[in-house]
Amino acid sequence: MKNQNQNQRTKTTVVEASAAAIVSASEVFLVHSISAIGLAISFWVASSHHSITLISHPSQTLLHLWVIQCPILILLYSRYRQSPQQFSYLRAVGRGILGLIAGALVNAFGAIALGAPIGVKSLSKTINWSMMMSLFTVVPAASVFGSSWTDWQRIFGYTKPVGPIDYMICLPAHGAVLGAWFGAWPMPLDWERPWQEWPICVSYGAIAGYLVAMVASFLVVLVRGTLQHTKRD
Amino acid sequence: MSSLSCTKLTMFTIIGVIVQIIGLSLFVFGFFPAKPALSGFSGPESFRPPSFDPVRNENHSMANLPPDELRSLYQELSGFPPFDQLILMVIDGLPAEFVLGKDGKPPRTELIEAMPYTQSLIASGMAVGYHAKAAPPTVTMPRLKAMVSGAIGGFMDVAFNFNTQALLDDNLIDQFFKIGRKMVMLGDDTWLKLFPGLFTRHDGVSSFFVKDTVQVDQNVSRHLSDELGRYDWDLLILHYLGLDHVGHIGGRNSVLMAPKLTEMDEVVKMIHTGRILNQMNNHGKTLLVVVSDHGMTESGNHGGSSYEETDSLAIFIGLNDVSGYTSSTKNTVYQVDIAPTLALLFGVPIPKNNVGILILETFGHLADAVFLHNSWMSKNLSRLEHGEEYRTVVGAYNEFLRIASEWLSHRATDKPVNLLAFGVAAMILSCLILLSLLFLICKEDFDTEKKCLSKAENKSMRTWHLDETFTVVVIFILVISMGSSSMVEEEQYIWHFVSSTLTLLLLRKALQSLQVVRAESLFNLFKGQNKINGFQTISIALLLVSGRILRGWHQGGVNWTDLPDISKWLEQAGDDHVLKAIQLVAGLLVIALSLMSLFVLDLHRILVAVIGFCFLTPGLLVLQHIMLNQDSMFAPSSFSTTLVQTIYTVLGFGTFGIAVASPWLSPILTSKTCSYNSYMSTSDHKEFLLELRNSSFLIGWAYICFWCLLQLLLQQPINSTPILLLLAQVFVGMSYCFYSGPHHKQWIEVALFYYMGMAGHYALGNSNSLATIDVAGAFIGISSHSTILSGILMFMITYASPMLAILSMVMYISVKGINYLALPLNVDSGQLLKRLLGFPCLLPLGLNSILLVADTVVLILMRNHLFVWSVFSPKYLYVCAMTVCVYIGVSIVAATVIYTYWVLSFKRIMHGSASIKGEK
Repeated sequence: MKNQNQNQRTKTTVVEASAAAIVSASEVFLVHSISAIGLAISFWVASSHHSITLISHPSQTLLHLWVIQCPILILLYSRYRQSPQQFSYLRAVGRGILGLIAGALVNAFGAIALGAPIGVKSLSKTINWSMMMSLFTVVPAASVFGSSWTDWQRIFGYTKPVGPIDYMICLPAHGAVLGAWFGAWPMPLDWERPWQEWPICVSYGAIAGYLVAMVASFLVVLVRGTLQHTKRD
Repeated sequence: MSSLSCTKLTMFTIIGVIVQIIGLSLFVFGFFPAKPALSGFSGPESFRPPSFDPVRNENHSMANLPPDELRSLYQELSGFPPFDQLILMVIDGLPAEFVLGKDGKPPRTELIEAMPYTQSLIASGMAVGYHAKAAPPTVTMPRLKAMVSGAIGGFMDVAFNFNTQALLDDNLIDQFFKIGRKMVMLGDDTWLKLFPGLFTRHDGVSSFFVKDTVQVDQNVSRHLSDELGRYDWDLLILHYLGLDHVGHIGGRNSVLMAPKLTEMDEVVKMIHTGRILNQMNNHGKTLLVVVSDHGMTESGNHGGSSYEETDSLAIFIGLNDVSGYTSSTKNTVYQVDIAPTLALLFGVPIPKNNVGILILETFGHLADAVFLHNSWMSKNLSRLEHGEEYRTVVGAYNEFLRIASEWLSHRATDKPVNLLAFGVAAMILSCLILLSLLFLICKEDFDTEKKCLSKAENKSMRTWHLDETFTVVVIFILVISMGSSSMVEEEQYIWHFVSSTLTLLLLRKALQSLQVVRAESLFNLFKGQNKINGFQTISIALLLVSGRILRGWHQGGVNWTDLPDISKWLEQAGDDHVLKAIQLVAGLLVIALSLMSLFVLDLHRILVAVIGFCFLTPGLLVLQHIMLNQDSMFAPSSFSTTLVQTIYTVLGFGTFGIAVASPWLSPILTSKTCSYNSYMSTSDHKEFLLELRNSSFLIGWAYICFWCLLQLLLQQPINSTPILLLLAQVFVGMSYCFYSGPHHKQWIEVALFYYMGMAGHYALGNSNSLATIDVAGAFIGISSHSTILSGILMFMITYASPMLAILSMVMYISVKGINYLALPLNVDSGQLLKRLLGFPCLLPLGLNSILLVADTVVLILMRNHLFVWSVFSPKYLYVCAMTVCVYIGVSIVAATVIYTYWVLSFKRIMHGSASIKGEK
């Protein structure tokens, strides 16, 4: 009974959400490509203006990355907030900023639980890395859903995205987490490469997973859109 | 539906295990054969260039010559006068780095200052020193054998390190004996076991008391001045164990190290001034050779193949002219090179199985002209007209010798293919049997639950959840990672990574069922319907946190041991008092936690008090032992031995008593005010289950807590906090399982315990190198040398955490037992037992069998790998020991539960018949 109730509730929110903003595949493409361009710009700024790379200065590069990417993502995703009549655009932006900090805490907890080093030396690295991960995972969801627990549960608890916005949030977030998880595997090997340090290869993994999942989310939305079109015809 | 009956299941499991044992032992005996060695002793042919027509007859007659004639024959054949007396001074565990430095750099100043005399000898060219690279395993007996026979032993020599046996192959000591040289041995009694009856005088000391660093060496030195004054011996062996003991206690940088080095330096000085510098009286020339059998790691352990452990020393003192030697030239030789060099210097044949090559520089004292002329004459003059060509040829010859020596050292020995194939096949078969049994009970479990559930829930049951998938994926990850030598070396990362990932996935699962509308209301988690979920979430979070602390406690492995970790930080920051305080607090907390958990179930008050007292007695004794232990670090006192033996007895009787008695006491166990009675029908079946649950809870509690107490006693002081954390993890895991309810898959929870147990194994400082085995702890409370007893203690110390995980299955069964109250009443005893015992017993067996098979295959594939003896073989020994651990643990769990069940049903039958009689 409870489950059924919940299912119904989920369905109603889904209906609301899809009613609030119907997003086309091209729009998904646009959002994703802007985020990817943002990533590219931040790397470019880091390497050309400050001549640092992820390997030489992991902490500063990650700082560049999330500082540049943060406004882009929050401003982008706040456009797709739920029930826009009720919540203003500014409020969604505020939720995004709150989500950035909360998500950073969650990501840092996860990373440390999985074995990230604790110590004064790695503190700034961990903070900057978890800020970046928070941008990839929590911030879009925070901007869009606010504190609606059922939506969060649907996206992150059950991984059952419904509709284009859900895919747009869910797939890249999971891609980033999975990429980071796999990125940690080379760390204990004795290859003695500089990139085996925390958090370099984990960040590479996360970024790679994020990019791949963005492509996947665009493709899924595209395919589902055409399928629905053909059905309607 | 052909369901698997309990008897069949048991039978198949036992068959599977037996097949596995047979396969494993076949494989082990096939893969680790005794060292293949040529039998017999080499004779005069050793001095002649190899020729095609063997001169057997001549040899045979010569072997029977009396010692004196043999001696002069050898001297004649070798063509130069040998040394007369040899003093072989073995300093156990001295790394060559301490004396010669590393990479061309001199050693640290305090080390140079600790050995002024030896350093001055080396600086003035009176002594030549070499890094004599030892082969793994770097433990004393195989290394002594390598030094005197010049052969590399098989890997299994380690296994016999505690059970020394006479060396039967050709070796220097036997050759010395054959030519009638008199030998004296002072020091480690391993020599006496290797060469029984060959020494005219000896005073053996035992390497048994690892904590004794003073007396063990005084017992060697006390005879030294006397022996140096006498001239009736030709070979004097001094084996000093103290330095190795210092290393075992305090590591390379121990405060005792410099005084010990000075003591060794004094001995060198005494011999040099007393014997070598005044070589008159026509007593002939004396050579002093200072060697070490192996080095030590930073923490003072040895056994593996790292540079620190294999870097052993060889110093020749008394070669008059060592012009060929300059300290800047390459001064690295192999340990096996010592044997042929000494053989030639002392005019005996080179031992038959020798793979070492001569250390050429040590022959600089010979009359060069004669020596070179002879060898020159023996060459074919027509081809070698120019000195340069001669040098090329000599260079090529030396190169060949070096390559041949290395090849022989590393040679993978011939293995009986049939035996190996049969062993592997048996192991694969048993693995398949166990896995199919697991699959069957899984399926059965699934079917029965399908019946009980509604359709909607049924659908969610059928889909694979992420945590289930991951639990299976973990096995593949482990199997794949075993093929990489660096992953084997750093296995602790994998176990921690997968166990914490699994815990995170369970956290996600617990969050799935949280029923909150808005995220803000997360804070009133513990109200209303979310209470269970809230407890689950908190439990998992605690598991994660304690797992992370455990992971940070020891920076295990091989490559990153120097990275900071909590144990190093504590040892550096805190003095002994802080460490002791931490140990005491951890002990107190373990006791408090155990007593608290005893009150979780609403049992009978008085009985709980009695059991609590039973537990408190050994607990306080352990605390007292901790208080005493640090004061008497350097000398084992008889009082502490008695105390420890008392603790062993109390622990043993306590556990056994509770395990045997609690099923009989079960009716009183259940308190009258038990809350379950209020809402439960007092039917016979339910009461039976309740009794089963209570008594198995009590037994499980006793197993867990007494095991932890024992570990507090045995483990190193620094490991007391990890023990506390492991205990906390077990209890928290139990509470998670209690709240997870009946619909949670049992096998995931059992697998979680198994994974956490393995992660904890590495958190206690273990690794896949033999060097991390805690040898010092294996002698706690043993008053006389016993290989078996200390072996058992060593096993208990090493496998503390996996054993705890498996033993906790008794409590797990009790915690989960309440689920079976929901079962239909007509379930027969076999079905119930099967459901109780199925996963907790079969899953560890199954998981372990997969890992065993995988590691066997890896070992076969890697048999020619460079690291086969240093990485893969030790890992395989660990896997074998783990298999034994699983067998023991599972059989204890199964025996306990079956015993409890049997006693309870027996009592029920008796009760039933009594009541029938009463009615009549």
